[in-house]
Amino acid sequence: MQKGKVKDLLLWTFLAIILGLAMSFAFLPLLGVNPIESLKIMLMETFADKFSMGNILVKTTPLILTSLAFAFTYKANLYNIGAQGQFYVGCICATATTLALQTKLPGVIVLLCAFAASVLGGGLTGLLIGFLKAKFNANEFLVSMMSTYVIQYVLQLLLRTVLQEPKHEYLKTQYIDSSTWLPKIIPGTSVSLGIVISVAAAVLIWFILYHTSLGYRVRVTGLNQDAATMSGINPKKMCMTAFFISGAIAGLAGFTEINGMQHMLLTGFESDIGSYGIGIAIMANANPIGIIFAALLFGTMQVGGTALGHSTDAPASVIDVMLGFVMLFVLMSFFVRHKLEIRKMKQQKLKGGEA
Amino acid sequence: MSEAVIELKHITKRFAKVLANDDVSITIHKGEVVALLGENGAGKSTIMKILYGLYHATSGEILIDGQERKISSPKEAMNLGISMIQQHFSLVPAHTVTENIILGNCKGKIDLKAKEKEIDGLAKQYGFDVPAGEYIRNLSVGTQQKVEILKALYLNARILIMDEPTAVLTPQEIDTLMEFVKSYVAKGNSVVFITHKMKEVMQVSDTIVVMRNGKICGTVKREDTNEKELAHMMIGRDLENLQTPGQDDFSDRKERLVVEHLTIRPEKQAPVLDDISFSIHEGEVLGIAGVSDNGQQELCEALYGAANITSGKITLDGKDITDTNVKERIAMGIGYTASDRYRYAMVADMTLSENMLLKSSYLKEWVSHGIINWKKLHQYTEDQIKKYAIKAPDHNVTAGSLSGGNQQKVVVAREVDMGHNVIIFDQPTRGLDLGAINYVHKTILSEKEQGKSVLLISTELSEIFALSDRIAVMYKGRIMGIYKNGELTTEKIGLLMAGYQPDKEELK
Amino acid sequence: MQIFVNLISRAFFMSTPLILGALGEVLAERTGMMVTAVEGIFLIGAWGGFIGAYLSGNMLVGFLAAMTCGLLVAMLYGLTTIYMHQHQIVMGTAIAILVTGFCTFFYRVIFGVQTVPLKVSPLPVIKIPLLSKIPIIGQILFSQNIITYLTYILVPIVFFVIYKTSLGLSMRSCGENPEAADAAGINVTKTRFLAVAVAGCMGGVAGAYYSLCNVGMYNAEIIGGRGWIAFGICFLGNWNPVGALTFGIIFGISDALGTYVRALGNASIPSELFSALPYILVIVLTVCRKQFNVPAKLGANYIKED
Repeated sequence: MQKGKVKDLLLWTFLAIILGLAMSFAFLPLLGVNPIESLKIMLMETFADKFSMGNILVKTTPLILTSLAFAFTYKANLYNIGAQGQFYVGCICATATTLALQTKLPGVIVLLCAFAASVLGGGLTGLLIGFLKAKFNANEFLVSMMSTYVIQYVLQLLLRTVLQEPKHEYLKTQYIDSSTWLPKIIPGTSVSLGIVISVAAAVLIWFILYHTSLGYRVRVTGLNQDAATMSGINPKKMCMTAFFISGAIAGLAGFTEINGMQHMLLTGFESDIGSYGIGIAIMANANPIGIIFAALLFGTMQVGGTALGHSTDAPASVIDVMLGFVMLFVLMSFFVRHKLEIRKMKQQKLKGGEA
Repeated sequence: MSEAVIELKHITKRFAKVLANDDVSITIHKGEVVALLGENGAGKSTIMKILYGLYHATSGEILIDGQERKISSPKEAMNLGISMIQQHFSLVPAHTVTENIILGNCKGKIDLKAKEKEIDGLAKQYGFDVPAGEYIRNLSVGTQQKVEILKALYLNARILIMDEPTAVLTPQEIDTLMEFVKSYVAKGNSVVFITHKMKEVMQVSDTIVVMRNGKICGTVKREDTNEKELAHMMIGRDLENLQTPGQDDFSDRKERLVVEHLTIRPEKQAPVLDDISFSIHEGEVLGIAGVSDNGQQELCEALYGAANITSGKITLDGKDITDTNVKERIAMGIGYTASDRYRYAMVADMTLSENMLLKSSYLKEWVSHGIINWKKLHQYTEDQIKKYAIKAPDHNVTAGSLSGGNQQKVVVAREVDMGHNVIIFDQPTRGLDLGAINYVHKTILSEKEQGKSVLLISTELSEIFALSDRIAVMYKGRIMGIYKNGELTTEKIGLLMAGYQPDKEELK
Repeated sequence: MQIFVNLISRAFFMSTPLILGALGEVLAERTGMMVTAVEGIFLIGAWGGFIGAYLSGNMLVGFLAAMTCGLLVAMLYGLTTIYMHQHQIVMGTAIAILVTGFCTFFYRVIFGVQTVPLKVSPLPVIKIPLLSKIPIIGQILFSQNIITYLTYILVPIVFFVIYKTSLGLSMRSCGENPEAADAAGINVTKTRFLAVAVAGCMGGVAGAYYSLCNVGMYNAEIIGGRGWIAFGICFLGNWNPVGALTFGIIFGISDALGTYVRALGNASIPSELFSALPYILVIVLTVCRKQFNVPAKLGANYIKED
């Protein structure tokens, strides 16, 4: 892409985000909340202290990963809407592995095992969807969508039975041992190594997509399946590979959340990060590096929105309204930009014709 | 001269990327056949699509029966008695003949039985053998064209526009079509015939309008002109006479690609490839002539490892390669420029460099340990852009942003390097302007000089005659015969393309 | 026996919104448009329906409000996909998120914070005279609410429109070969937009069915993926109204079964798996189906250079 185009893209996306935020803030007076005041509160509370600012990174961590999960299959022209489910599988695997091993092995080893288990669990869930698509031509959009609901119920069942805490009172597991927690990297905050892991994952995915032959093949398959076939690339294999990687990244989010943040698994846990991830990926045009920043923006909005909910009458759902509008406007900006480009080309032709 | 039914005045049409029509004026009279002659991309289809309401002119006016009209949709064009048969038919394969004909011309509840009867009657009236209740997907292209004509007749069209109607027909089917055109205009209707073939123009038209680069460069009466003059107008210079190959003897050179009894027969269907055998020597061009969709694409795919073959054997340099796949055949040095390059040979949204890598993502050329060496690839791409005079700012623009001719040059540049043993060219010049065609032809001949074996598939007989050492004719998945270039007349090849074997006895 | 009859009666009851939503989806998908905003349309239908009915005290107002809400969301979807050429799946997902936030937010704006959920009394059952007296069948088929009756009447109507009228022929052509439809003088964009709008109205009512006929209240989890199930039913039913009916009933049964097992409250039964049954069923059926009759240009935006 040319430099001018990248600049255009950034400018328009930025405008769309501002417009989306403004639009959602315009609704606040309906609740008797002053939008300007709210903005002030959001900014003040969010950037008031180290702890709140750290929370931005905490919120950002899983969002980068679920967003990458959607983006990676999107590059292969496949739709993995089931990152939420693969995230839950990652959570289950991380929790179960940690609980099973924490008394027997040293903390670092348990961490590594939990890491491997969550990645593998999420990856295999993704692979299953990819396999059904490749082998039976099942609509992956529907299957991945439905898989989330199924996994949610399985999670509930597990939390009610084998994984339930010893007292059997609540639908949650017991706390995992502190030796198996991901180390905190910024003192005075809850920020763990998880953020480093997820940023590294984004860079790795970027490298795979744009600098390896595997990523190249995934992109070719996504853009033109017939040309891929005619170039010796097997689209079915690519489909399964893409879904495995996608699921693995979503599963990884389970690891960073369980071992890095929550230290236990409970019902209804982070139930929105799948759909937020899709929104973030769209905002970033599925670019892995862009996703880091879009997730950061969204993490900030989440922390700000929560602060707003504490200090005023505005409900936390204002975050969803914000994200919805931002997504809508970003998508519309793609169209406007395209229209302007065409108009510019026509005008250039006009001048060229007259000259 | 009878009265003018349609006058297009000073029409200009500008798309985002091209100026398709530049101050075009055409007059169509009652009872007249107007031929719109020009190369691919000259703007012939665009001007007629404007008349048909599919596109809207940037400026200019349309007069119908002397009155100015704004035609904003095909519906309005049809109400004015104008019908157009597009080059790629506008038929719904999943619907029946009747459903296709009444589409857009019926109201409320449909009595399909009654409509079918009506269509049957109409077909009989014009002597067309078209089953009204049959699904389009089960019909041959020739019959599909008749459905398109019936659609226009059903609407009582008085001006019929046909865009390259003969491209998919055999010479004999073309004659039938010409008969229809003559009888149709005899009733006081008019026909616009869009084509790039001079022979047809001389055969059927009254007035000839020649277009080049979106402009009109001549309007003449048929009796006042000849093919040579038309060619000059169309191309802007005289046609070159290429030296015809076919004199070389290849019997002492190595047989490179040998195909024996190759057959592809889908389950419970007629074979798409039927017992095909031929061989190509090193340094030889084997041309395959034939109407499109007679198994050419399947043959290419079989040779390239992309089709499941039912039986037969393919040998390359004495090695049986029948069971190898595309990936392996690329590694063996087989190049292939697919006829539908947009679909099979390039990725429009990827850069030129990325397109150069397309066939070699599994090879070691630009990839080591799974990591792409972009620097080397960019350099190679820049070199190819220079070597093939590809009109592109740099290696970083998308393939889709180039013109068709330049896209084809990118594909040819890549495949010529990929195919260091055999290159399969399927319709390599379709849709290109003459400069690009010339370049591709020169490339084919120079690759042959280097000792590569070339399979050239084309529906353009002139191309086959100009480049091939030997010529095979394909019809319905069979090879009707293989001849040395020079042994075949146009008439004989036409019969072979239609499935007749005039000298079968002789061959035995 | 009575349990069985109750279960099947409940299955027909639960199948109604799925069939209604799927019928709308069939209409739209026949023109080539996947209405991936269906989950959002269902949700806003449930929301708008409840608010309309609660504030006016009138069920009809509720359903009209639901229809309007569904229509507006569908129009937004149609505007962005048909006229602004945005990707259908991406757009649908974006709208689902927007609607989720919007509904929760404005529920709060209108009703404030409530400790006890607000309720309306669910739409009454209309027993059809005489017919409802027939043993078994009477209870299953003729003791339902008005929306169920209307939905079942809609099935043959939609079938007739699609296969027996010129409108249906035009619609199907837009989904099979929009270029051909365009050349035949059919306004492809308008046809698609109208089909999406109709699907929005039907989806809105289907969503309101959950808030007004089933539970008589609204919360953000009320749809819980049932819009997507309606979407799946359209696929599984081969884009045919009769297929939509068949699979609608199958899913109604699995839905009813899940509710029944949950109501038993027996902790030793993995009731969660019964609740997951409809979703598992979609996956299994999607994998198993062999015959395809998919509109050739489904999901592909029609962009004409001009």
